[in-house]
Amino acid sequence: MVVGFAIVAAWELVTAAGVIAFRRPIYNALALVGNMLGLAVLFLMLNAQFLFAAQVIVYAGAVMVLFVFIIALMNPVSDVTLGPARGGEWIYGIVFGVIFAALLGVLLVNQGLTGRSGPSTPEVINAVGNVQSVGTALYTTFLFPVEVTSVLLLIAAVGAVYLAMRRIR
Amino acid sequence: MPVPAYTFLLLSGALFTMGAIGFLVRRNPLVVFMCIELMLNAVNLAFAAISRYLNSLDGVVFAFLVITVAAAEVVVGIAIIVQVYRAGRQMDVDGLDLMKE
Repeated sequence: MVVGFAIVAAWELVTAAGVIAFRRPIYNALALVGNMLGLAVLFLMLNAQFLFAAQVIVYAGAVMVLFVFIIALMNPVSDVTLGPARGGEWIYGIVFGVIFAALLGVLLVNQGLTGRSGPSTPEVINAVGNVQSVGTALYTTFLFPVEVTSVLLLIAAVGAVYLAMRRIR
Repeated sequence: MPVPAYTFLLLSGALFTMGAIGFLVRRNPLVVFMCIELMLNAVNLAFAAISRYLNSLDGVVFAFLVITVAAAEVVVGIAIIVQVYRAGRQMDVDGLDLMKE
C-alpha cells in the first residue's frame, strides 16, 4: 500500500510538472490525462470507487476529449500570436510557490486530523455498496445541492449553445 | 491503514501549488485552463482523503459536485476561448486587455 502510494504520488507530481512545463498544448493535455488517471487510482486507494468511475468518465473521458478536440481545431502551434515574454509572471509564480511550500511545512508539523469521526467506516460502506451509499447521501442529505447543480449544468449547456450560435448568425 | 492521512493532504497541496504556479506563469489560455483543472483535482483529492480518514461520505459527495461544476465550467470557458480566438486569433492572456480601460 505504501509502495503503491509512493509510485502513484511520484507519477502525479511528474505529470503535474508536465502540465506546467511542456511547450506544446497537446503535450500539456496528455500530461493532464495521465494526472487524472493517477488521481483516479488514488481515489480507489481511498475506498471511493464511485469517485473513481466519475473521475475516469467525466474528466479523462469528457473534459480532456474536449480539450484535445479544441487543441486540434485551433492548432495553436502554427498561427498563434504570443507576445514577447515579459518575465514578470515568473516572479508571481515563485512568490506563490514559496508561500504554499511554507503552508505545506505547517501541514508537516501539524499532522493530526482533528475532525469528529463519522459513522461511515469502510466496512459499513462496503456492506451496502459504495455507489448505493453515495447515492443515498446525494438524494437525501444533499438533495438541494444536487438540484442546484442540475440547474447549473442546464445553464452551462444553454450558454455554450448560445456562444456557438452567435458565430453562425 | 498504513498510509497516514497527511501524506494525501501533502500530495494534494503540492498538486494545488503546481496548478497555481502554472496558472500564474503560463500565457496560453488553454494551458491556464488545464492548470485550473489541476487545482480542482487537487482539492478533490483532499476531499476524498478527509472523507476516508474521518469515516464520512460528505467529502465524496462534495468531490462529486466539484466534478460536475468543473465540467460545466470547462464547457463555457472553452466556448469563450474559441470565440476570443476567432475574433482576434490571439492566444495570449496577457494580450487580452481590451476591457482594461
